[in-house]
Parts: sequence; C-alpha cells; structure tokens
Amino acid sequence: MFRVNGKQRSWYEGMTVADLLRDIGDSHHYAVVRINDKHVSMPYFEKTRIPDNSEVFLIPLIAGG
Amino acid sequence: MIMEYKMETIKTFNYDRPIIEKGYANQTLFIDISVPDISIKPVDEKMKDVFIGGKGFDLWLLWHAVKSTTKWADPDNAICISSGPMGGTPLYPGSGKSIVTTISPLTGSVIDSNVGGYFGPYLKFSGFDTLEVKGKTEKDIVILIDGIDEKVQILETSGLPDDSYDLSAILTEHFAQGKPRHISVVSTGPGAKNTRMGCLNFTWYDLKRKRARYKQAGRGGIGSVFADKRIKAIVARWDTVKVDTNNPADGNALKAVGRKHSKEIAELDPKQNEMATIGTTHLVTIMNDFDLLPTYNFQYGTHPEAVNVGQEVYRRIFDTGYDGCWMGCTVACSHGVKDFVPLTGPYKGTKVFVDGPEYETIAGCGSNLGIFDPHMIVEMNFYCDAYGLDTISVGTSIAFAMECFEMGLIDETHTRGIHLSFGNRLAALEMVHQMAEGDGFGLIVGQGVRQMKSIFAKDYKADPHIMQDIGMEAKGLEFSEYMTKESLAQQGGYGLALKGPQHDEAWLIFLDMVHNFMPTFEQKAEALHWFPMFRTWFGLCGLCKLPWNDIIPEDNKDTREPAKVMKHVEWYAEYYTAVTGKKTKPDEIIRMSEGVYNFQRIFNLKMGFGQRDHDDIPYRAMGPVKPVEYESRRDRYDKELVEKHHVDITGMDTEEKIRLLRKFREALYEELKDAVYKRRGWTANGIPTLETVRRLGIDFPDVLELLKAHGIE
Ligand code: SF4
Repeated sequence: MFRVNGKQRSWYEGMTVADLLRDIGDSHHYAVVRINDKHVSMPYFEKTRIPDNSEVFLIPLIAGG
Repeated sequence: MIMEYKMETIKTFNYDRPIIEKGYANQTLFIDISVPDISIKPVDEKMKDVFIGGKGFDLWLLWHAVKSTTKWADPDNAICISSGPMGGTPLYPGSGKSIVTTISPLTGSVIDSNVGGYFGPYLKFSGFDTLEVKGKTEKDIVILIDGIDEKVQILETSGLPDDSYDLSAILTEHFAQGKPRHISVVSTGPGAKNTRMGCLNFTWYDLKRKRARYKQAGRGGIGSVFADKRIKAIVARWDTVKVDTNNPADGNALKAVGRKHSKEIAELDPKQNEMATIGTTHLVTIMNDFDLLPTYNFQYGTHPEAVNVGQEVYRRIFDTGYDGCWMGCTVACSHGVKDFVPLTGPYKGTKVFVDGPEYETIAGCGSNLGIFDPHMIVEMNFYCDAYGLDTISVGTSIAFAMECFEMGLIDETHTRGIHLSFGNRLAALEMVHQMAEGDGFGLIVGQGVRQMKSIFAKDYKADPHIMQDIGMEAKGLEFSEYMTKESLAQQGGYGLALKGPQHDEAWLIFLDMVHNFMPTFEQKAEALHWFPMFRTWFGLCGLCKLPWNDIIPEDNKDTREPAKVMKHVEWYAEYYTAVTGKKTKPDEIIRMSEGVYNFQRIFNLKMGFGQRDHDDIPYRAMGPVKPVEYESRRDRYDKELVEKHHVDITGMDTEEKIRLLRKFREALYEELKDAVYKRRGWTANGIPTLETVRRLGIDFPDVLELLKAHGIE
C-alpha cells in the first residue's frame, strides 16, 4: 500500500509515476509530484518508480516564482 | 562584536501619533536630510482611491519629488517606503511587506522593490503610510522613527560598522530598550556605496534565535541611492502588533477570512512544496528538469549537477524552526543557515547566520555561474547581504563577465589577473569582495551589465554586437533567473515589465511552457494583462505575493480559470473589504492596479523611457545566439523552422539556421508587443492613451501635458 494525497492505494511492483497518473485517470495536467520529500518532474514520470509504503503528493500547479 | 561608536541627535521632531483608521494612518512623513527638515503631509481620499497605498503612494510622492532631469544621485531623488492598507495584519499570511521606490542607478527610471521584515508595518503604526526621504548629507546619519515615544530623529553617527550584518545587530540593540522585537532596521553596506546594484536589508527580530534577521529590497540599486545619501540606517520602533492595531473596518470578517487562508496554507503546504521547510529551493530542480534553469549566463537551461544545489541539499543545511518574515505568516518561507563559517573575506573563520538562500540567489550566484557548490552559494549570499548587494544583479553581471572572459572579449589584463571562467568559485567570491572594497575588476562588474557592455566596447575594444546579444539586461536592469528562450509569454513578462526584467511582475514561464494555459497568441497577451495586475495589487496593499499562488487550493484544478487561483483572489477581495470598508469584488482588484500600473508607465515616460524601444530584450532571451546553444536544442529549433515556419533546412549550416530563427522570433516578439499594448490600452508606441488615463482617473494636468508632448491628446 501507499498513499496519494493522503488516501490509501494498492501498490504493485514496478509502478511508475506515469502509471499512477494513468490509473487515477485525473485529466488535470500534473507537472510535478512529490514522493515523500523528493520532487519529481514530468520529464521523469515514466522512469520514476514509486516505492511501496511511500507518500505521494500530486502538486496542483507551479504558478509562483 | 564590541564597537566604539557615537550617535549625536541633530534634529528631533515630536508629533502626535494619529489613530490608524481602516488600515491607513492618513499621513506621510517627509524628511529632507540636506536641511535637515522633517514634516508631515496629509493623505486625502483621492490619493487613497487612485493610488490605494504601498507602491501607489510611493510613486505619487516620488513623481512630485523628481523632475524629468533628475538623476539617481541628485539630492532631489527620493527613497519612498510604504506599507499599505492591509500591511501589519498579523493574522493574514504575508501581510508585512514594505514597498520601496526610487530613481534607479541602473535604469535611470523608477524602480520598485517589495520586501519583508517589520519596517513597513512599524512605520505605519508609528503614524505614517509612507516615508519619503530626500537630500544628501556630508556625514553619516541614522534616522529614527519612534512610534512609541512619538518622535522622529536624525542622528549623526561615527564609528558604526559598514556592513549590514553587524550594523543591524548593533542598532537593534541600541534602540531596543530591552525589547528588540520592537525594532526594525533598514540598512545597506559598502557594496552599495561602490556599485550601482546596492540592496537594502530590512530586519525582523527572530525571538527564538535571538537575532535580527533580514529580507532584501534587492532590485535596481535602491541601496546605492541610500548609501550615496550617506544614510547608514533608518530605524522604526513600534510596540506589540495585534489585529486591532490596524483598526480594520470589520475585524470579525477579517479574522474569518484570515483564518481560512492561514489554515489552508498550514494544511496544504506540507502536501505541496513544503515552503515552510525548504523555502523556494524546490524550484531549482524543477526548473532544471524543464530546461528553464539558467546556466552559464543563460546559455543553457539544465545541468547534471543542479541537484547538488536543490531542495534535497538545502533541506539539510537550513536551520529548522519558524521562519516567517512577518508575524504569523504560515508560509514561513524565509529560511537561513546557522553557524555558517565563511572561507573568505572579513568573516572568514567565524560563525555567522545567513538569511537564505532563495531560488533566485541559488540560480544567480550558482548555476548561472556554473557553480554547483551549495556552501559557496551560501557564502555568496552572506556577503552580498552583508555588503548590501543584490544577489540577482551580482549573479547576472558576473555571469556576463565570465562569458566575455571565456569568449576572449576580455582577458586577465582587464580582470587584473583573475581567471574569471565559469565555475571558478573563488573568482566569483573575489568579485563580490572587490565590489565591497570598490577596487579591482569588481568595481567594473558592480556597474552592471549595461555599463560593462559600454566599458568593454570602448576601453577594451570588445565587439558590441555580440555583447548586446548576450548581456542579459533590459531597461538597464539585469535579468532575474529564468530561461525565457522558449517561452514567448515570459519574454513579454520580462521585456514588458515596467521596471525591467524581474519576475515579480509576470511569472508566466511555467503556466505557459509546462501547464500550457495560454497556447494562443491572444491568450499570452491577455495573461500579460491580468497577471501583472494581480501582482501589482499586492504591492499596493502591503502584501506578499506568495500566498496567492504558491500554495494552491485542492479544488483549483476544477475551476474555470485555474491559472488565476480565483478562490484566493476572492479571499483577497474580502480581506480588502474587511480592512478598508470599501466593498470590493475580484475584478476591482485589476482596476485598482491598472491605475497605478499605467501611472508608473507614464512615470517612465517622464524620465525619458516608457516607449516601445524601451521594451526590447537581448536576443539571448528569445533564442540561441551561438551555435553551441542552437546545437543543445537542435531538434526543437529544427522542428520550429520546418513545421512552424515552413523552411527547408536541408544542407543549411547552424549559423544560417540561427539567423533565420532569429528573424522569426524577433518578429514574433514585436507582434506580442502590439497585442499587449492594445490589450493594455496603449498606443502602438507603448504609451497609455488619453482614454486609458481618463478611465483610470490618472488624468492629472501634468500627466496630460506629458502625453501631449508625446503627441497624445
Ligand atoms: S510567504 Fe515567505 S516571504 Fe512572504 S511574508 Fe510569508 S515568510 Fe515572508
């Protein structure tokens, strides 16, 4: 199991960030997610694996700089 | 550090402190340090309606202080510092900003800077919406604005340290009467005196760490004006701050909306970017991942070592604890490094506390110089602050000098033996020390990119054309730290910004390039209208921009215009209503800003700028200047030439492709100017029309006269 924005989800071996976003089916364009305290950006969604028991946060928007 | 110093009062002005009414003191403080003279000017309803407060008040006072011929170092030039009607509210996140304006040594026109710390609110609660300081003195002075004892004093000083780091600590203790939290100090350092890129440090007192902490009014050399006037410091003294101190029209409504926003941030920040833990350092790796992090003087947007200076590293370096630069701000992003021991300079080998670094400093004094050493960046940050130097202008200026050095446009005979290549950490630090000493090649770098281009061309016979393309300044101000080559919207965000290329007016790069919120040309022009208006409004009200769109409501993505984060805009309208008693809807926020924004554009015109040519940017901000840059993104550029511009590139060499791409991109930027000017109600030459100034209520006789002189009647 792992958690996405505080909600439990079942985990499978080899699951990437891109897989997760496809599974969730949210049409919002996420550019960045956080796995525990590490930011992962869209160019790395396909190759970044989500570890079991991790805490994933989908960052809604990077709008301020 | 024990210092022998003297302070002698040369002028005391006693006054009766007014009661704050709905966020306003309703008067401003005028000081001419040449005479010296201290007086109070009233604020009328018209001034509040048109200029709101903050930057608006600053601009109005500065407009009357300076002539079109006034130069930055003239005694007539004023430094204006304001809070704003919401400034000083402890409950609402980000409500403690001061806004500073003056005529800039870098641009020759108006500059504005929005800064944290306690000064603005303490100034207002002491009885003044704005402070305007003119004149110059022969001897160093400190100005004290004491709202508790209801007096303003000018003190002649000697023996005080030059650098901001020690100076602020000493003055905090000197005036505190045992309560250092009652003190906020504005000061600068020796770098400000010897360069055109001096910053001002504004303090807030950190009770837990028992020390004065700093935020910087960085851009445009305001600190250099301050140092040139021989002001060592301006100190505000005020008592405990509560929600009622600002006497809002509806305290209950204010508390309700303030709690909502505070609570939302406290809940969502840990789930989003953790700014309360890592500040803005998360942007380093994010920008790097999207090819937007400037490296090697904005040549490239990514570097494999960027991760060494990103949030994962600074998370471990930052001292833990509450870091709000205003009381009760739940974003609390102003982090620092404890017990840092510099390797160079006057503090070499001693433990210091460093405020920062933020993203801009990491990119400016790090990646853009080819430096990926987190501790060296902390050291650059420390000395820039202590010396009173803007880390952005310092970074972008050294980056330019480094590229000129690597290209052979300048050499060691010019740098006086310093091998000023990218990645040379000690050379970069040496430049900073030389800026403070006013010596060596640092003295030239400290004049900024625009001056360097002219000195290198005239004295060192360097090619002015290539320097024009790679010297990252516009309007005389150095670019802040984002790569705009592939984002037309951000090119406009920088080029069309009133004061010069600083991202605080329009940060559209991510919304444009990554979120793709503005795919069409018209949408980009529209965004270049509304985004600056929102951002301007924070500066009118005494607010920080970060709580608006750095922490995003969870349901924002389902709203009609997610880029605007309208839920927060609605809260801000409620907040404004609760403080001022003037019923306000979100769209009126834009209308308030438009008046001041257009007035500032006209102010540029008064100072001899503010027209279409003034909005030009160097080509590197638009596209690849050198073959290596083209080659680093060849697929993208080739595709653009073939698919967008229908060019047959078969057999074409890189130089030729660069030339063609440049033609298309420069034309596009000109088209963007046309579209934005039209949307903003300006002529094709970028001047507000008569209809626009009338609609916004800024059709003052001298404004109309100025427009008439430019053929607009
Ligand atoms: S968000 Fe950060 S910069 Fe803004 S007021 Fe709060 S602590 Fe200061």
